[in-house]
Order: sequence, then structure tokens, then C-alpha cells
Amino acid sequence: MSGDLPLLSVERISVRFGGLKALEGVSFQLEEGEIFGLIGPNGAGKTTLFNVISGLTPATEGTVHWRGTPLTGLPPDQVNRRGIARTFQNLRLFSNQSVLDNVLVGLHHDDHSSLLGGLMRSRSFLTRQQQLRQRALELLDLFDLTGLAALPAGDLAYGDRRRLEMARALATGPRLLMLDEPAAGMNPAEKDDLCELIGRIRHHFQLTVLIIEHHVPLMMRLCDRLAVLHFGEQIALGPPAAVRRDPAVIQAYLGESER
Amino acid sequence: METGLDMTLPVQMVLGALLGLSVYLPLASGQLSLATPGFYAIGGYCAALLSTGWPALGGELPTFPLPSLLLELVLGGGLAGLIALLIGRPVLRLQGIYLAIATIALVEILRVLNLNLPFTGGALGIFAIPQPFNDPAGYLAAASLLLALACWLCQRLETMRLGRAQAAVRDDELAARSMGIDTARVKLTSFVLSAVIAGVTGVLSAHFLNTWNAKQGSFDASITTLAFVVFGGSRTWLGPVLGGLVLTALPELLRPIGDLRLVVYGLVILVGPVLFPQGLITPERLKQWRQLLPQRGRPRRAEP
Amino acid sequence: MDNLLQILFNGLSVGAVYALFALGYTLVFSVLGVINFAHGAVFTLGAYFTYLLLGGAVGSNGLLAGAQLPEGLPFWVALVLAGLGCALVSVGLEAVAFGPLRRRQAEPLLSLITSLGAGVVLVNLIQILMGAEGYALPAGSLGQLPVTLELGGARVRTIQVVLMLVSALVVVVLTLWLERSRGGKALQAVAEDATTARLLGIDSDAMIRLCFAVSGFLAGLSGGLVGLSLSITGPYFGIGYGLKALGVLVLGGLGSVPGAVLAGLIVGLAEALVPGEWSGYKDAVAFAFLFGMLLLRPQGLLGRAVVTKV
Repeated sequence: MSGDLPLLSVERISVRFGGLKALEGVSFQLEEGEIFGLIGPNGAGKTTLFNVISGLTPATEGTVHWRGTPLTGLPPDQVNRRGIARTFQNLRLFSNQSVLDNVLVGLHHDDHSSLLGGLMRSRSFLTRQQQLRQRALELLDLFDLTGLAALPAGDLAYGDRRRLEMARALATGPRLLMLDEPAAGMNPAEKDDLCELIGRIRHHFQLTVLIIEHHVPLMMRLCDRLAVLHFGEQIALGPPAAVRRDPAVIQAYLGESER
Repeated sequence: METGLDMTLPVQMVLGALLGLSVYLPLASGQLSLATPGFYAIGGYCAALLSTGWPALGGELPTFPLPSLLLELVLGGGLAGLIALLIGRPVLRLQGIYLAIATIALVEILRVLNLNLPFTGGALGIFAIPQPFNDPAGYLAAASLLLALACWLCQRLETMRLGRAQAAVRDDELAARSMGIDTARVKLTSFVLSAVIAGVTGVLSAHFLNTWNAKQGSFDASITTLAFVVFGGSRTWLGPVLGGLVLTALPELLRPIGDLRLVVYGLVILVGPVLFPQGLITPERLKQWRQLLPQRGRPRRAEP
Repeated sequence: MDNLLQILFNGLSVGAVYALFALGYTLVFSVLGVINFAHGAVFTLGAYFTYLLLGGAVGSNGLLAGAQLPEGLPFWVALVLAGLGCALVSVGLEAVAFGPLRRRQAEPLLSLITSLGAGVVLVNLIQILMGAEGYALPAGSLGQLPVTLELGGARVRTIQVVLMLVSALVVVVLTLWLERSRGGKALQAVAEDATTARLLGIDSDAMIRLCFAVSGFLAGLSGGLVGLSLSITGPYFGIGYGLKALGVLVLGGLGSVPGAVLAGLIVGLAEALVPGEWSGYKDAVAFAFLFGMLLLRPQGLLGRAVVTKV
């Protein structure tokens, strides 16, 4: 049914806070299965765009369509239920809960146990809980977090926390996974691992991935297409090779480093 | 009415523990609600009015029939829950201190209404409330049953989807929403459950205390019940139960020192948060204590 | 006609007290982000201090039974001294309760509880020392001033005029201090961002203590004024005011000084306008405002909207 429709369609999104312009006329479309990157210096509006798509910030102008239906204006929980999950630049784990429980929360969509069944601990309830735990452990395994399952999420090392957030987001069963600076604070070896991991989960879960990242070489390697944001405006859009040669991009980056 | 300690204090302690649980539930979803005394008062008035005003329930009999008590519990708890459902949605949109203040206002509005409405008996309230039990032991049994039920509910919730969602909302509401959790509904459920427990406690208390007036649902009660949770521990349901039991007993146990006892009570509330920010019972401490127990054959719950 | 004037006057004078009282709340809130629930107890303390300083005798129920100053002080001296005494108590509260929690960056809920505990301690200490009975302030407290005045055809009590004048004076002085003086501006800086203020060389801790002192002074002053104009019904009489002032605080907007003043007057007037047969519901007026405001516009009339950063 969605044959010709792009998965996600961002149309002329603008966000203004009073006199401050965070985004201006950003437009692009995501094809199913691609890894799409958003790059640009700090303050370019990348996270703001994520917030608009995921329903945390209202757009001043423009719309977002998801598989043909409007997404703008929906609250975050409904956005997630439509199949979009995200991670946060500043990590928002449930730090007082265990690693396993964090992922279990993500799996809540599939937990259809009845209230009574849960209270009475019926056979079907217990079976279901066991199944969910199994799936959670599988996800943790994918992200190399199995040994840490019982620890409070707040006790984890930074890199592990980043991966946990990804695991939790994936647990919600999305079609589109939005990652906000997943490589922040990682060394080159970890960045390579991350690249490989993202490629793997894209294949394994048949995902479309939208990434925000600073580290341009990483994005050039990983992404099928890129959009470049500069002071809230979209100055380039296309495959990495084309973007790399785009005069506007060179101007923006070189112009900055000349200062 | 009372002649020394006998069973009266334990009954009050158990009722206190129930109120502690009522305050705890919204807090478990990250909501600081001080509305418990209001719902407690509603439950009490329900019981007081029904038992004194509706002869069919058997208020004239020497002992108030247990089925009537049961009916009152259902009606009182139900009414409290219904009101919570109605006002919950708009009120729970408020965050942090604003929610706390809104619930304080709610309790005060209810108190003034209870003082002035024609059928609530004004400042004197309603008295000569029929007694289902002839001595405190009966009340203790009933209250303990209610407490056990409430504790069981809280314990079960923790391993269910709702309990996990509550904890998620408490830790980070924004993240919880982004994971697809209908946080408004989670918060509302906690609020309604809290109201039902408070209402049910009110029903039993009204019979126990024999009279009921607007003073039962006052800001003072908001403070004391909140102290149960803060003192006992706000991260697990055992905390408010312990807090309710201990802090209700405290003023009585301190009676020998006379007028200073309320000062000591105040000092406990003053110093408690400074010394024990998470309260006495925390999940970590529970884990430590559990490890101190001798190992048993079968584990109660499979740990990862 | 002059009945309406009377009502308006009553409303304004009560409102002036609410405003003064709420100002203390607002100051602490804007600087610390917490509501000091011991404020009502400090208010009560102010009333009792004023009573004693005016030469009143302690009743027979308290520990201090029979104690009395040999000669009462003029009312305005008593008010100021009572205010200062309360300022001291307030600073003590900060040292014992709020300070340690703040330094530990504990969650605001804990400060709330602690202040509640402090309030309980204070009120019960008062009860132990002064007994639980009511106190009417000594006759002739106003010194040479007549007990009532003619104003525009209405007969008003002098104390009400005093109340309004004092409140207006305090508000003006406070606003001037906050806006113009070094200390006041430093306080606003700390309210805005304590860390940055510290980096700019402002001693945030001292500012916070100052804030509590001023807040305590306001509470004590308003307590004394209420004691003078009505009477002290017992150690718990401040609790109701404390709660109502909370309503004023929210109506005006947490952290807003002009908001507290405006809201105080509005609530005072609204209460006065409640018709006689509904007078039992007067107390609910402030809370109805409060509740409605929170649902419709949580930031109050003049407060700033709260923004969460993602």
C-alpha cells in the first residue's frame, strides 16, 4: 500500500521560538530501509528537528507525514506507537531501574496481559512475562549488555548507557529509529563498532535509520544519504559523495574553520 | 473513649499505614499529591451518612451488620475513586510543586464544603456512628485485612506492566512518553487507586472513631501522611507502611514526655529528610537485608 | 453605599496582609525554587512576639505563665522588633533545614517536608511556652491614635489604615531595594541562576540567608499586623493564613513580587465580597482561585511560564 509513498516526509518544517529561528524550511523524504544522516555544527537545529518529528516540540510551520498520514501535532506516545522511536542526546534512561527493566519498559507494547491476570499471576500472565524477559535478554545480547542486566541503569559506563538507550528504543518495535548523537564520547574503535552495529540492526530489524552526528567521516561511511543543516537551514541534501563536494557545504565548514 | 493502649493504638497504626500507601501510590508515578486526606474525608462522610441516615442498613441494631459495612466500603471507595477520576485528568497535567499545591487546595475546598454543606453536620459533624465491632480487636482485624489487600496489590503491581510504567514515568516522564507509554493514563490510575484506598480507610475510620467531621480531612493530615512516606521510604511500598505504623505510634509512645511530644514529632519530620533522604526503607537496604537471611531452597522470584 | 465602601476597605486591608505574607513566600520561592511551609509558623510567631512586645501577659497555661514586659512598646516599634525576631528565626531555619538539603542538591520535595516539620516544631514550642488559649492584643496598643476614623463617610478602624499603610510602605521599600540596591540586584541574580551568580562573585549562600531573613521579617510583620487587627485565636491560627497565602502566591504567579501584591488584594476583596449568608465559604475563596488558576494558567497572573528543556 505504501509502495510509492516515502516512509517519512518532512515538508518545509520551520520552528521559531519568539525571535529565535531554530529551523527554517527543512524538507526531505526518507525511503524505507535507508540510513539517513543529519549533520551540521552545534545549534544547527538537528535535535530540534528530532523533537518536531517525535512530537516534543510543535512546528511553527510545515508538516511531517508518516506513511502518508500527518504526524505533526501528535503527542510523543502516539508518535512512538505509529512506529518511530528515538534516543536522546543527553541520555534519558530510567536510571533507578535495572538494565533489563529499561528494555522491558520498551516492550510494553507487546505486553497484553490483563490486569486481573497480572494480579492473580495466571499461567498465561507468567508465560507472557517469561517470553518478554527472553526477548529483552535477546536485545541486550545484541547490544553486548547481557552481563549488566541486573544493574541499575544509572551505574553503567557511558558507552554502555548509550547502547542501552538504543536497545530500549528498539524494544518498542519501530520502523524508523532516530539516533541523536549515538557516537558522542566514543573513541575511534568504538565508533567503528557502532557503525557495524547500526548496519547490523538495520538489516536484522528491517529498519530505517535517521541519525544525527557530529563526526563527519563516520556519517560519510555509514549513511546512504545526508542532509546538512546550518543555522536551521538545509543547505545540502544527497548521497555523501555529492554532499562532500557541495560548494555550500564547503563554504559553511571551511568558512567556519577560517575564523 | 479509649482506656489506655490496649488495641486502639494498633488500629490507628494500621489505618495510618493504609493512608501512607495512599500517599505513596501517586508518588510511585512521580506525582506529589497531597489529596489523600480529602478522599479519606469523603469515604468517612459516606459511611457516616449512610449508617446514620439510611435505616435499611441496620444502623439501629446493636451491632452494625457486616454486609452493610462491606457495602459502605464499596460505595465509599467507589465515590472517592470516581471523584479522583473526574478531577484527575486536568489536575495531573500539572507538574511538581504546582500539583502539590493544587491538591492542597482541593483538600481545603473539600474541608470548607464539609463544614458548610447542610447535610454534613457542620462543625460538629456526624456522631453516634454505629459500630460493627464491639471492641477494637474487631477493627484491628478488619483494618489489617484491608492493609494486607492493599500491600498485596502494590506488590503485584511492581511486576506488572503498570508498575514498570509507573516507575518509568517517575524516573523520566518525557522518556516514558517517547517510549509510547500513555503517561496521563498511568498517572491517573495511580491517582484513582490512591483515592480508593484513602476512601476505604475513611469508611472504616468513621466507624472506629464514632464521630466524623471536617477536621478529618485537613492540611495537617496531608503533612502527617506525607511524613509517613518520606520517613519510611518513598521507593517501595514497604516504606510508607512502616512509616505509617511508626509515626502513628510515635506521639502515643511519647506521651510520657507530655507536651514536648509534638515537638519531638516535628523534629522527626524536620530532621528525617536531612539524615535519610530516601527514607528508612530503600530497595538497596531491602536487598542487603534479604542477603542477610539464610539461603532457602527455592528462590521467590527469578533474578536475572 | 458606605456599606460597600466598608466592604472594600475591609477587603483591601485583609488583602494587604495576604500580599505581605505572600511576598515572603515568593521571595524564597524565586531564589530557591521551594515553598517554605514553615512560613505560616513564623507568621504566628510574629503575632505572639508583637503581643509580648506590646506588654501583653502570658496566660496561665504556658510555661512562661505570667511573664510580661514591664512596659509595652509603641506599636510600630513592637512590629519592627517582632519582624526582626522572626527574621532571625527564619535564618536559623535555613541553617538547620534548608541549607544542608540545598548543599546536597536534594530534591525539592525533601525541603518541603523539612519545612513542614519545622512549622510543627515552632507551633508546638509556642504552645508549650504560651499555652493554647487565645490572646487579644492589649487595649491602647495604638497609643495616641483613635480607635476608629471617619474616611469618606465610612467608619473604619485605625488599625486597618495602619495595616494598609505599613503594607504599602513595605512593598515600595522592598521593590526599590530589589530593583535599585546592590543587595537586591544580587538577590535577583541568585534567583535567576545561583551558580552563575557565584561565578560573578556574589556570595550566594549569604544572599540566600538574606532572602530568608527578609522573608521572615515579612512573615513576622504580617503576623503582628493581623494580631493587632484581629486577635490571636491560638498557636494554630497561622496555618490557615499560610495556606491561603499559598493561593495568593499561585494566583499572582510564583516568584513574582507585583503578582503577590495584586493577588493578595484580589483575594482579600473577593473574600470581603462574599455575602453574609455564605460567609462560611469565605475560606474557600482563596482556594477556589488557586485551583482554577492552576488549571487554567499555572503561571499565575504575572508569573513566568515554566519551560522544560529536552
